[in-house]
Amino acid sequence: MTDAPLDTARPLAKTRLSHTAAFWLAFSAVMALLIIAPLVLPEFWSGFLTEILIWGLLAMSSDLLIGYTGIVSFGHSAFFGLGMYGAAAALLLVSPPNLWLAIMFGLAGAAGAALCVAYFSTRIRDIYFAITTLIFAQIFYVIIFTWTSLTGGENGLIFDQPHFAIPFLVNVPFHTATMHWFVLAVVTASYLILRRITQSPFGMVLQSIRENEARTRAIGYPVERYKIVSVMLSGLFAGLAGALYAVQKEFAAPDFVYFIVSGETVIYNIIGGVGTLVGPIVGAGFYQLMRQFMAQWFGDQFPYLIPLGIVFIAMIIFLPQGLLGFARRWLNR
Amino acid sequence: MRAEASPGATSSPVGDRGAAPSPLLKTESLAVRFGGLNALSGVNFELDREEVRAVIGPNGAGKSTFFNCLTGVLRPTGGRIIFNGEDITGLRPNLISQKGIARSYQITNILPNATTLENVRIAAQSRRHAWNMVSHHSAFADLNQKAEAALQSVGLLDKADELAANLSHGQQRNLEIGIALATEPQLLCLDEPTAGMSAAETNETKELIRRIAKDLTILIVEHDMEVVMELCDRITVLHYGQVLAEGSPQEIQQNPKVLEVYLKT
Repeated sequence: MTDAPLDTARPLAKTRLSHTAAFWLAFSAVMALLIIAPLVLPEFWSGFLTEILIWGLLAMSSDLLIGYTGIVSFGHSAFFGLGMYGAAAALLLVSPPNLWLAIMFGLAGAAGAALCVAYFSTRIRDIYFAITTLIFAQIFYVIIFTWTSLTGGENGLIFDQPHFAIPFLVNVPFHTATMHWFVLAVVTASYLILRRITQSPFGMVLQSIRENEARTRAIGYPVERYKIVSVMLSGLFAGLAGALYAVQKEFAAPDFVYFIVSGETVIYNIIGGVGTLVGPIVGAGFYQLMRQFMAQWFGDQFPYLIPLGIVFIAMIIFLPQGLLGFARRWLNR
Repeated sequence: MRAEASPGATSSPVGDRGAAPSPLLKTESLAVRFGGLNALSGVNFELDREEVRAVIGPNGAGKSTFFNCLTGVLRPTGGRIIFNGEDITGLRPNLISQKGIARSYQITNILPNATTLENVRIAAQSRRHAWNMVSHHSAFADLNQKAEAALQSVGLLDKADELAANLSHGQQRNLEIGIALATEPQLLCLDEPTAGMSAAETNETKELIRRIAKDLTILIVEHDMEVVMELCDRITVLHYGQVLAEGSPQEIQQNPKVLEVYLKT
């Protein structure tokens, strides 16, 4: 290749600077709203917002696979559920219950499941992989549902909420607002980490795999290894969401390992816009709010899935990029 | 069973490199069988350093099969492929790429919604920083420099910040070559580099290949004989999975066997 001096003074640097400023401005505005939310919202809605953030984290973890690596998992409930039961194990076995131990146990549980799914991802692809993850999650569901002596079966497990504790510094019980801030901090950190991962050279390889796997291999990348790592990362963040959910709700139940949770995770992604990371959080909020409003207006027995399904189909037809799809390039730069 | 390969005269313009006597690429009785069909049989092929070689042949001659064996997409059922004195038979495409063989695709580019520079940089980072998860992908001066150099050699540096999807067809094909170059190959395999191009674009691409051929070994797999005549030092003609003839463009043009099976004029 030529060694001639290159003209490096292209205008890229300037636009990147203003883009960076705009991004962090928008980020700070959203953060400010989310931070003051529990101070102005009624207690129920504040807890509901916290829950949305947790579902958003689950959806965001799955976006790493769907939107960036280009593989669809219908088994994220397995990661979420094992994160949940892992946290439950720590909270039940160790006294006094420890927040950080719960999260670590949750991550370990999800990592175990992710390792199996990661192995599948290198062997089978596309719809076959999606179906295999679905079956895999259902196997976990059946095990958890039937192994009553360990998991409490259908009734699940109930435990005490751990305190927010930093050794030698603080040890205070959570209340609605502090729980919200804690979850917000974890989800925000997860977002920033995932954003950095997707922008890194590693993340570019994932996107290259999404666009053209054979081409990516031909320029020298061991595609299988990248897929394994991306499934592992995705599973860990999904497990983190599960652990947070267990801590917030003080229970673990087999319903959350059921495939409906996996399906909803994919729906959050499609509604919010895959490949944007924040889109899936918005999608989760949109879905959960719609469901909540319908339950409030028409009662608990209202078959909310019918109108939600219609909305979902309409969005696929008229807004196939999702709510935040229009900003994909901007968010990923 | 040896193919009836005619060694051809030694009057090629690249005979004077005494420092590297062994060929860059060599295949020994390479064979690929699909069921009952011998797509390639007994292909003995040698490619010298800094040579520009074309492999041509009529449809179904085994050109693509040969190409896919060299780049690791297909695993040969017999024979060996030696690159730089190293047996690379049956290695996976990513390892072949790491050994220094790059290929261009006919279907273009990696990330249509990324810029030209980003597309090339993904290829450049396959040699270093590939697993980095903590830095922004544009933050590496060495990668940027390599990517810009690759863009410059294919004449796309002024389009560095253009989205790949917005390039013209011909520019996208050149970007393809740029992506291959960014992996810093020793051997560049081009798959019908001018297929589907206008006459003007074809001329530009020919010019481009001539330019990058100065310090690179190039293997062109081509259907169209016209394209390779003025571009290549030597030409190998495949027919029914075997080497029918090999020689300089002039020799090939006058070879009666080639005229019979290929040109049919």
